Amino acid sequence: MFKKLLIAGVSAGALMLGSGGVSAIAAPGPIVFGVQAPITGPYADEGQGIENGVKLLAEQQNAKGGLLGRQIEVKVCDDEGKAAQAAICARQLVDDHAVAVIGTYTSGAALAAEPIYARAGVIQTSDGTSNELLKRGYATWFGNAPTNSAEAKFTAHYMVDVRHFKSIAVLTDHSSFATGLADSVEKDIKAAHGHIVDKAFINAGSQNFTPVLTKLKSMHPDAVYFSGYYSDGGLIRAQMVQLGMKAVFVGGDANQNVAFGKIAGTAAQGAIIINVPAPQDLPYPAAKEFLAAYQAKYHVAPPSIYTFTNADGMRAVMQAIETTKSLKPAKLEHYLHHMKNFQGLTGNFTWNEHGKRVGSPFTAFEVQADGSYKIVYPAPSAG
Amino acid sequence: MGTFIQQVINGLTVGSIYALIALGYTMVYGVMRLINFAHGDLCILGAFVGLTMLSGAIGGGHPGPALVFLAFVASIVVISGAGIALELIAYRPLRKADKLAAVVSALGASMLIENGIMLVWGPEVQVFPAGLLPATTWHFAGASISFVEVVIVLASVVLMAALYLFVNHTRFGTAIRAAAIDQDAARLMGINVNRVIGSVFIIGPALGAVGGLFIGLYYREAYFTMGWTYGLYAFIAAILGGIGNIPGAMIGGLLLGLFNAFAAGYISSSWQDAITFALLIGILLVRPSGILGERVAEKV
Repeated sequence: MFKKLLIAGVSAGALMLGSGGVSAIAAPGPIVFGVQAPITGPYADEGQGIENGVKLLAEQQNAKGGLLGRQIEVKVCDDEGKAAQAAICARQLVDDHAVAVIGTYTSGAALAAEPIYARAGVIQTSDGTSNELLKRGYATWFGNAPTNSAEAKFTAHYMVDVRHFKSIAVLTDHSSFATGLADSVEKDIKAAHGHIVDKAFINAGSQNFTPVLTKLKSMHPDAVYFSGYYSDGGLIRAQMVQLGMKAVFVGGDANQNVAFGKIAGTAAQGAIIINVPAPQDLPYPAAKEFLAAYQAKYHVAPPSIYTFTNADGMRAVMQAIETTKSLKPAKLEHYLHHMKNFQGLTGNFTWNEHGKRVGSPFTAFEVQADGSYKIVYPAPSAG
Repeated sequence: MGTFIQQVINGLTVGSIYALIALGYTMVYGVMRLINFAHGDLCILGAFVGLTMLSGAIGGGHPGPALVFLAFVASIVVISGAGIALELIAYRPLRKADKLAAVVSALGASMLIENGIMLVWGPEVQVFPAGLLPATTWHFAGASISFVEVVIVLASVVLMAALYLFVNHTRFGTAIRAAAIDQDAARLMGINVNRVIGSVFIIGPALGAVGGLFIGLYYREAYFTMGWTYGLYAFIAAILGGIGNIPGAMIGGLLLGLFNAFAAGYISSSWQDAITFALLIGILLVRPSGILGERVAEKV
């Protein structure tokens, strides 16, 4: 009973302090970073990854003396990946005087929370990639994951500018995912002044791809780009080799699956797959250090690359606070919108005026003889 | 020219597989006037049984070709058994019933086998082990043909020729043909029609098992829903050639494979199936009973 009273008393005091308001910022209390993430529910592992990543960064920074001489405090709110809960979280974290909020995982939850943060002048950096968020012009919004069109841009850049393929054949199945990706890649290849010899279709799962590949072979492309799934991709690769095609196989992200190598067999070697790297495949030294520290602290591997993109969001905000020596939203936003070539754990990037991430974490892997992946672009020494 | 030859090779290879599977549809239809919709799934079950032999501990230690032979034997035995069981459980009790009842039963059996495969082997793509057969590929005139393709085409031709000779030049083959023409008359002539029906449910699935395992060995992957795709193609091949007609199924399968290759290779890959089936409709408009099918007076 006595304990409860005490807690009530303390929180009442905290409330009064809080209502004491703006001038309190100057007092050397902790700097609050919020985490809004699905800690429970179907995306729980991703949400917990974001929470773990942010807490790890805060701990590392505090060990170095914190930010502007103040410690960092992390407050977590579970949005369960749901829009309604996300709005509640946003109000709670605003009331907690968070300078910035890291997360969330789903676009829908980010969309529900961001208007509240924008009104309160709280920076939000999240992997939600919905175009809706970019359209509304929130000054406080910073998307830290690549948008859906980034893969196509990277693919075109890799094939045309890096590998200098003179002629490219584009192959897709009829699914909306694969045709969408193939259309974007086609558009971006043309924009990069690449030459497309043919755009052809397969029926996913039909296995009989030699007729269309024979046709492509007669056009002598330097590369065949396939936007569909691994079970077809592996077979396409195998049948290309069987037909004696010299073209390089370049596959979209849905080709990254262990079954690709198994189905293609020895033919898999030398195939290129374009995807965001798994955390353990990130080539940058800072990413390797972060991964090691994460595993040492939590004894599990991070769930996905999104743990790292959200950590990048947090790192960028910390850099903004240190450089501007300020916690004022307007100053931080200005810095984040104009910083040049931020060195992220997931590659270098910047933010445009809508808070869209420019500079993708995509990499091109080459399948090795033993079925493992080797990053061939960007060069592993970069960053 | 190289491209054309290559497309012919492409078409003949899958066409041979379609033909092997189509024979199962056509034989059952010939004798029973029933479309065995579970046939495609039986064939793919054959691929999975073969896969278990090839990758399981049972076959461990055997050299590649011997292991493949063993897998074919196991696959043929198991699938023939499954064919007989299918006839006994799903079709025999309905032989006197309405035709529609047997069709529904066939569709049910198809789903049962498909989902059974999923439960036993799992829903993910299963990969066949590599290096079982020589990876030799011959190149000529700008085209290439692999050892597996040669085996598929040759084995299919041999099996189909053997079946043709069996049906047309043996006593039991004569019984099959008699039962196909008129079951009651055949019974009056002292032919054991139940044995004839049993035999087509052994021969058809056995050939289908060979086709299914060829699919697995050629593409080196199998998944549980494949039976529907291949079953549909083979069924169409059987119709194209004239259902109930054995050489018709062979020709239908090969033609379908070639159509598909030429449609994808020379016209448009996105319209591949549409073109193939439009051609099929065209042929059936001219010859409603298929290429080799004969117009027989409808029996009462």
